[in-house]
Amino acid sequence: MTQIEKLLLANKSWAQEKVLFDTQFFERLSKVQTPEFLWIGCSDSRVPANEITGTQPGEIFVHRNVANLVVNTDLNLLTVLNYAVEYLKVKHVIVCGHYGCGGVQAALTNKNFGLINKWLRNIKDVYRFHKHEIDALSNIEEKTNRLVELNVAEQILNLAKTSIIQQSWKENKGPTLHGWVYGLHNGLLKEIASMDHLSKLEEIYQYNFEL
Amino acid sequence: MSRDLSASVVVFLVALPLCLGIALASGAPLFSGIIAGLAGGIITGIISGSQLSVSGPAAGLTVIVATAITHINNYEYFLVAVVIAGFIQVILGFLKAGVIGNFFPASVIKGMLSAIGILLILKQIPHAVGYDNDVEGDEEFIQSDGHNTFTEFFDLSDNITLGCIIISVITASILLLWETKFISKSKLRTIPAALIAVLAGTLVSYLMNYFGHDAVLEQKHLVNLPVSKNIYQFADNFTIPDFVGGFQMAAVWTAGITIAIVASLESLLSIEATDKLDPQKRLTPLNRELYAQGFGNIVSGSLGGLPITAVIVRSSANVMAGAQTKVSAISHGVLLLISVMFFPALLNYIPLSTLAVILIFTGYKLAKPAVFKEIYNKGYDSFIPFIVTIIAIVFSDLLKGIAIGMFVGMIYVFKSNMNLSMLFTESNNNYLIRFIKDVTFFNKATLRKYLASVPKNSSLIIDMRKPIFIDDDIIEIINEYKITAATQQIHLEILKDVHQNLNSTTTNI
Repeated sequence: MTQIEKLLLANKSWAQEKVLFDTQFFERLSKVQTPEFLWIGCSDSRVPANEITGTQPGEIFVHRNVANLVVNTDLNLLTVLNYAVEYLKVKHVIVCGHYGCGGVQAALTNKNFGLINKWLRNIKDVYRFHKHEIDALSNIEEKTNRLVELNVAEQILNLAKTSIIQQSWKENKGPTLHGWVYGLHNGLLKEIASMDHLSKLEEIYQYNFEL
Repeated sequence: MSRDLSASVVVFLVALPLCLGIALASGAPLFSGIIAGLAGGIITGIISGSQLSVSGPAAGLTVIVATAITHINNYEYFLVAVVIAGFIQVILGFLKAGVIGNFFPASVIKGMLSAIGILLILKQIPHAVGYDNDVEGDEEFIQSDGHNTFTEFFDLSDNITLGCIIISVITASILLLWETKFISKSKLRTIPAALIAVLAGTLVSYLMNYFGHDAVLEQKHLVNLPVSKNIYQFADNFTIPDFVGGFQMAAVWTAGITIAIVASLESLLSIEATDKLDPQKRLTPLNRELYAQGFGNIVSGSLGGLPITAVIVRSSANVMAGAQTKVSAISHGVLLLISVMFFPALLNYIPLSTLAVILIFTGYKLAKPAVFKEIYNKGYDSFIPFIVTIIAIVFSDLLKGIAIGMFVGMIYVFKSNMNLSMLFTESNNNYLIRFIKDVTFFNKATLRKYLASVPKNSSLIIDMRKPIFIDDDIIEIINEYKITAATQQIHLEILKDVHQNLNSTTTNI
């Protein structure tokens, strides 16, 4: 049996189990999705959104990229965000990083990764904002882990800077933004930052929607 | 509060003939049923944590009580047994025996409710048409008048009383009228229909009696409360237990222990059932209920009353009359006391047929088709134990029926556990057996069946990562199968977690 065949077989068994305990499971989900959460997480295989939050298919709308970045020119992420906020009307947007993140650690070095450099430079910018704090830490693990936390907080801010979030805050008083970090060593989520429609944003980033 | 008080009047009216009927069937003085009713209402009502449950003399105890009274042959000694039962219940509560109540499956409890509903309808129809041979409140299949539930109907046609029919029709019309939109939109809806019905029925009965109409009701068709001439005669109705004599008699202790166990079980069942009927879905603390029942029995026995339990018929009448809190149950006890003290003669105008029709309506609400449909939709695992419980209770009695229902329920738990413990999947000559629950020797047959259906020259994965417990028997089968797999050119792969030493020091995979 090849590895791919194993996946297909396991999938069939999984579908069988779902139907066994809830005969309508797929019938219901095939009609509509009404997730309450948008998850912006890292592509790391050890941080599966549904499994660590105990949620079922249909409950979380997911976008994952290297080091869970919110980049204001990333058409892919902006499309996901726009759809989730405007059409699915999610109540919460979660940015979830994880300690020991390879992307964050790579950004702390001077190594050349070719194309990947362009993506990691966003993290280097976060480092620059908090240079003193991070340089004061003794080893690379501690530096990485602190930058993981600061990076998540920065991405929350990046979300708040988008007109998608600002317009929704104005019209619907939602969604709430949450910054979390997942511990690979203990499997627990830690809350780092959060923002909602009452949070103060630097004035220069605030858009005027009255036209 | 006002809804509680109006509901308490309905419960009181329903309870009155039941208390008397159960006393009659138990071979005890009629008044002992009333004493039990007020002890159950007031004492148990105050102590109990249930808001809707009503306690009082129970149909389910009549056989035990009647046997004990004959056997002990001294009512004052028998009362000692009731007090002993009460103390045992208090001790059971202290030992937290109330947890037993959590082990009754919902389908069985719902079956019990529907069975009581069906019994109410069947047992009360004769009373509604004026055939009052069997005592009120009988819940046994073999009745105290020698008939069973169904043969009672054979001589029904010879025993129909015109007056009772008239009153039943009037009662039913009022109850039906109260179900219509006309009433439910008006202010009248706050008054329980049963109350209006009893007043109307009693008035008609009184008028027929007054004008000497052809349809006049005989005393046996009416409530038959003992009437005392004065306060001294009233006091004579109470009996004090003879502790000195009673304690020395082994039969008294046996009766006390039996009553304690059966009454506790019936109370816990009734509490579970009443909690299910509660629109607010409040949960009754079960150990506290045993205290409440115990003190109720101590007081009832000390005053000359029958043993009590929480009772389903009165509790469901209470729920359906719109009671909100235990004020209703307590007030029904107070009303029993006041009525027997001050106006027993007046109550003796209440026709049994009116009360019978009210109970038939209560029965219908417990056993209406919608209930069956709801449980049918949950699947056979619920429906079969439900139906079996109903049939068993209707054809035997409450406790036997519950026991049979529980047994069938358990078989279904095993059966579904066997079927749902593992999944067998095939794709392109690749096979997967995946354990999705703890697996025990009950699942051996299923595993063997699946293993046998894997053909030669194929691949099989056994995924045992999910369960926390895997029985040695299962591991043994898999170990044996390794040899089979090798000879049949089946490529076998076993997926297990590191932690899974598989609960065994001797067997290994």
